[in-house]
Amino acid sequence: MKKIYVVVAVLSLLGLTDALYLTIEHVTGQTVRCTILSGCSEVLSSQYAVVAGIPLAAVGAAAYFTVFSLAILALFGYRIAGKILTPLVFAMFFVSVWLFYLQAFVIRQFCQYCLISAAITTCLLVIVLSLRWFRPAAQ
Amino acid sequence: MKRILPFIIILVVLGVALTSAWYLTRTIPAAQNPPGNQPPSSSPGAPGSQASPAQSEQPVVTGVPGAEPAHTHGPANAPVKLEEFGDFECPPCGLFHPILKQMEEEFGDKLHVTFREFPLVPTHQHALAAASAAEAAGLQNKFWEMHHMIYDHQNDWKKEFDVRPIFEGYAKQIGIDVERYKRDIDGEAVANRIMQDGKRGHSMGVKGTPTVFINGREVNFENLPADKLRVVIQNELRNAR
Repeated sequence: MKKIYVVVAVLSLLGLTDALYLTIEHVTGQTVRCTILSGCSEVLSSQYAVVAGIPLAAVGAAAYFTVFSLAILALFGYRIAGKILTPLVFAMFFVSVWLFYLQAFVIRQFCQYCLISAAITTCLLVIVLSLRWFRPAAQ
Repeated sequence: MKRILPFIIILVVLGVALTSAWYLTRTIPAAQNPPGNQPPSSSPGAPGSQASPAQSEQPVVTGVPGAEPAHTHGPANAPVKLEEFGDFECPPCGLFHPILKQMEEEFGDKLHVTFREFPLVPTHQHALAAASAAEAAGLQNKFWEMHHMIYDHQNDWKKEFDVRPIFEGYAKQIGIDVERYKRDIDGEAVANRIMQDGKRGHSMGVKGTPTVFINGREVNFENLPADKLRVVIQNELRNAR
């Protein structure tokens, strides 16, 4: 049971690194080079990359850091942290679905770093759901 | 101790994340700074400039010839020859455009600039149309006028469904024969030029845009902001003496 919080913490650290990289790219204006396969420069320079003046990637970094903190606290026995984790990961997953929709149908370009983040969030959701399912059996 | 340990771990991660972000945002200069905001400390050819990171370690690449005559600016015997592979729809290329103009103003006849077409067709739906428009204008000796027009208005046309009327409007504004331009834009000469530039790009290992070579050596992407590119050019000038 506790090991799964270690997995959540590691995944959220990966997400934090990815989101921090995108935030730095955004803040410095050092958008990544255009290539045949990547649409990162288009996604990062779109109007959807900023919410109320804050880079969306920075919001993502804050969310991943919160998930990391909650996972560490849950690992050390703070039960309330485990309870907050579930709705937070759900919210992150729905935001990721919305951003995937924007990339696929509005911007019509995919950024690999955003896709990595979406994949990490999906993994987190699966883990959090499995935590809920396995809890009665463990007790 | 066990009760404090999780908070220590969280604070350490927060510290590492914030320090890394702070360090990287300080060391990576902003590419979007308008030319007027660049630090005035280094003038062209000024001694004592910082060494450009790893530029001299890049191999010299020759590649197959591109379209001839190439679209160039500056004297052919200039000590620094800069060749850009660009895509008119690519946002970083749009950001690099004023930087390159600034370098041309600063270095004058010491800098020879060549522009090569490298439209990223599957990624950018209007890139080929934009390259064709510039090349068609080039057949009437107005390549650079159209080139500037397309880059300067990149955000106005790239979201449009049909860009042809917009580019025809630019053709009128720069004063070329629009009827001839309309014929040329779908012609073989324009297609061949784009194809030849593309072949040159592929032979030189170009994978994305903007890709810039200075005296045959590729300039790292992170060295394209004005203050770093200036140092690369200054070093090349120093080496040429």
